[in-house]
Amino acid sequence: MGRSPSDLGIFVGKRLVQLVPVLIGIIVLTFVFTHISVANCAVWYPHASKSTLANCQAQFSKPLTTQFWNYFVNLLQGNWGASVAGSPVYPAIATGLPATLELVFASLFLMIVVGIPLGVMAAQAAGRWGDHLVRVFYLTGWATPTYLGAVIAAIFLAPYLGLPSHGEFTSNPPPFPQYTHMSVLDALLAGNLPWTVDAIKHLVLPATVLAFINMGIATRMTRSSMLEVIPLDYVKSARMKGLPEFWVMYKHALRNSLITTTTVLGVTAGGLLAGTVVIEEVFGWPGIGAYAYTAIGGGGAAPNFDGAIAVVAVFAVGVVIANLIADILYGILDPRVDWR
Amino acid sequence: MTDAVVSIEGLSIDYVVGAGRFRAVSDVSLEVERGHVVGIVGETGCGKSTLAQAIPRLLPEPPATIGGGKIFFEGRDLVQVPLWKMPAIRGTGINMIFQEPLNSLNPAFRIYDQVAEAVRIRRVRETNGGSVVRAAGSGPFDYSRRPDPSAGDAWSGKVVPGGAVQEVVHRKQVDRETGGTHGEIAEEVLSYLRLVRINDPETILNLYPHELSGGMRQRIMIAMALSEKPSLLIADEPTSALDVTIQAQVLTLMKELITEVNTSILFISHDLGVIAETADELGVMYAGKLVEFGPVAEVFASPRHPYTKLLLRAAPTRYKTDGPLLSIAGNVPNLSRPPSGCRFHPRCPIARPQCKGDPGPPLAPVEGASANHRSACFFASEVAQMA
Amino acid sequence: MESAPSSFPPAARTVSPTSRGRRTWIAVVGFFRVLRANPLTMAGFVIVVAIGVAALIMIVDPHLLTRYGPDQLTTSYNLPPSWAHPAGTDGIGLDIYSETLYALPLDLAIAFAIAGTAMIAGGGLGLVAGFWDKPGTVGGYVSIVVLRITDIFLAFPSLILALAIAVSLGRGVWQLIVAILLTWWPFYVRLVRGETLAVKHLPYVTAARAAGVTEGRIVLRHVLRNVLEPVVVYFKLDIGTVLVTLSTIGFVGLGLVYPSQAEWGSMMSYYQNAGLITAQPWTVLGPGVAIFVTVLAFSLLGDGLRDILDPRSRRVLAGTGSGSITAAQPAEPPLPAAEAPAAPEAPTAA
Repeated sequence: MGRSPSDLGIFVGKRLVQLVPVLIGIIVLTFVFTHISVANCAVWYPHASKSTLANCQAQFSKPLTTQFWNYFVNLLQGNWGASVAGSPVYPAIATGLPATLELVFASLFLMIVVGIPLGVMAAQAAGRWGDHLVRVFYLTGWATPTYLGAVIAAIFLAPYLGLPSHGEFTSNPPPFPQYTHMSVLDALLAGNLPWTVDAIKHLVLPATVLAFINMGIATRMTRSSMLEVIPLDYVKSARMKGLPEFWVMYKHALRNSLITTTTVLGVTAGGLLAGTVVIEEVFGWPGIGAYAYTAIGGGGAAPNFDGAIAVVAVFAVGVVIANLIADILYGILDPRVDWR
Repeated sequence: MTDAVVSIEGLSIDYVVGAGRFRAVSDVSLEVERGHVVGIVGETGCGKSTLAQAIPRLLPEPPATIGGGKIFFEGRDLVQVPLWKMPAIRGTGINMIFQEPLNSLNPAFRIYDQVAEAVRIRRVRETNGGSVVRAAGSGPFDYSRRPDPSAGDAWSGKVVPGGAVQEVVHRKQVDRETGGTHGEIAEEVLSYLRLVRINDPETILNLYPHELSGGMRQRIMIAMALSEKPSLLIADEPTSALDVTIQAQVLTLMKELITEVNTSILFISHDLGVIAETADELGVMYAGKLVEFGPVAEVFASPRHPYTKLLLRAAPTRYKTDGPLLSIAGNVPNLSRPPSGCRFHPRCPIARPQCKGDPGPPLAPVEGASANHRSACFFASEVAQMA
Repeated sequence: MESAPSSFPPAARTVSPTSRGRRTWIAVVGFFRVLRANPLTMAGFVIVVAIGVAALIMIVDPHLLTRYGPDQLTTSYNLPPSWAHPAGTDGIGLDIYSETLYALPLDLAIAFAIAGTAMIAGGGLGLVAGFWDKPGTVGGYVSIVVLRITDIFLAFPSLILALAIAVSLGRGVWQLIVAILLTWWPFYVRLVRGETLAVKHLPYVTAARAAGVTEGRIVLRHVLRNVLEPVVVYFKLDIGTVLVTLSTIGFVGLGLVYPSQAEWGSMMSYYQNAGLITAQPWTVLGPGVAIFVTVLAFSLLGDGLRDILDPRSRRVLAGTGSGSITAAQPAEPPLPAAEAPAAPEAPTAA
């Protein structure tokens, strides 16, 4: 069938190629949206120096297409621009992105390890109180705005649980070089055990809040696809073979329901990335979420247009890649899909 | 009674749905003797599938509950066994094949993996090794009384040298649980696939179910079920979803297997012809009750229950030139409000006032017939004279 | 005896079709019966109704629910919760409970405006793109263009894009609505398009076409009616998501300005910036609880309704039986991400 490894290469390749026009569209769109209104330099930078204001005014009074062209040309040359105060965008993103990725992966891990079994349990107890409990649980997470959850966790839960609520490490900078800018990974690579534990402790609360809020989708999707799969004959066959119920569910049934659950990965990625903006700000996590928060003018900061565009574009690319991975996973998991 | 593999006494199964509670199976008693094939026949909705799935406790217990009765299997009452212990009895004790070949095999796994899983489960239980599958306290199954399935020397010879088998299957070498090398297990898988008359089974080992035909899938299902060497095999309408030619092939196969494998079979069907071909004894179900039970030839030749007689008469023969097709007047009763007394009395041509009275007629032996021919009719002896 | 052949067709009895009024009544009664069977959905429904009533009261006669006027300053600063001030007061003397209630109609109105407009605009676009999408025709090209644009929009996490737009638009009610609206409409396009694609090949649409019904009428009567049901369910869930998004924008500081305009997100932003949340944690109680309860109620309602209306879970929850062929149909192999029919999941918001 069309499922050899070389076919997989073609499968992935085709989708990567489709990525490019979407990428360009993203950059164009972000640019348009952030430059939609008339320049309001005085309002944006109330404390800036005269030269900065003049600079801003000159930049924004050009026609939109010129502005975009300048930006795009710069981008292609590797210059991601700078904030009005002059700090370049690229290094900030280069150091911040891995930290955010660490947070996102930790949340994903929690979502899978907790959310999917919850979905299975809800499907097994369909219509009964176990199902209702799970539903209340994930809807509670869903209904909590990120900032509310983050603030409550940081201010109330952290002291109660004895977990830190700020930053990646207890004291910065850490005594080892940060190659990857992922706190736990760096500490592990440096072989520094107490700092690794410290890094993990700092990761727990923000990752848990992020996971709790976004878990709903994974649980819901698992539950409904399990409900579809459980009455099918092959599940009964598996039971009749003499397998204990646990293996019937987690080996036979779940394997098939995961096929549809992976499609949800793309949507989840969007939610996770969006959530990092607030979570990183509240928990002081040095990722691009926090960078986005200030670039966009959160908390009264001066807007950093170049930074905003870059961050938004990076997020969008992240979502697109997550969708791509979900697509590929689907193709791998479902043996009926032909890769050619 | 002679040595019965499974003996059901007065089994009743209720469904608790929001609207109320209704009894899908009422007070059914039957036995399957060792080495026999017992067929259960009935219209859609008469409770035969429910009965079949209830024996290995496959029904989801919250909506379905066992409302009474006993199921004796290998000296144990399965009704009393807690659900978590049932996996130990399923598979090697009782196994089941289902109706839709499309859905019976897991679409995500290869054929080899699925059949090998069954083989491994059996080997674990035989060798008393592994821990996952065996419930605490249950003894090993005694296979000494049953000969190995001998599929005839023509089939079981080492047709393919071991090397080719290794090539096809990519797995780790030694199976830690059962001690069998994957070569051994692969050999066994292949032998069971040959048992169900699949030629060149090596070619299908790496395929997925959706790449095979319905008839092939059904054979694989049978192979998978038999590879665990169950004492009782329940076949829930195994040929109903197949077209007629494949149906004939699978039935021929099953008949041959019955002699070769010495597993007892409980065969559920709505097709009288299929049952006539394969079964030794026949049970007829109507509205959740077993209305007649007896040796197949005798029941067909001289039915002792009005429903059976009308059913046999309604089955169309090759052609009919003298008038419309015969049917049974009326409709199957709603099981949440069944008729009083004998459930068939509203539609029965020989009904009398006493048929309406509760309790209805018991399944009692009929005079002038074999010892185990029973009918649930007060006037069983008059059925022969029914027009 | 043999059964006598019965006459066929049976003698006709005249039965008048049930009137529309009666059918509506039956539908309403059925709805409530279903609700009663699902306690969680019932709870959601009750709370939503209560919130709606409260919003109406706040518009008409606020003093039924609260003692203070919209911006009335009391002389008590930074008080913890008490009978007089159920959620305490803030640094300038505003009663938090009252302010939260005053924000209620505004928040609800904005959320409904956004979701409603997105539903109509995005839904309309999705309907057109789904129905007239034959490749090679004008409709086909339009359809492709719409799809590509939608895809690009969908690549952005909704919150981020809304924030980016809000930055350049500035603060204010209309700016807020436009910012979120621009990021929200693509979800409806994809949802409606997916449903339209599924419906337009159904036999009765073909039959209507064969009977000579005009295309426009087919769309309006047949297609729309079927598409409407999942969309409305999605809408209910969406209100919650929109609410969370708009209050998050407020929190980031790009929404309305508090205390001149009361809105839950901007209230939280104000407290955060004033450092009140650490010092007096109860300030979270007002707007935080309000948002949480409102969104939870809408979500319970929407999620519950979605389960009830989904024919698959209905069949499964009913009982056993071996899975039929239709139940076993696998999901279609993945179309390129652009054309995949929408899984009706609400977009996540931070």
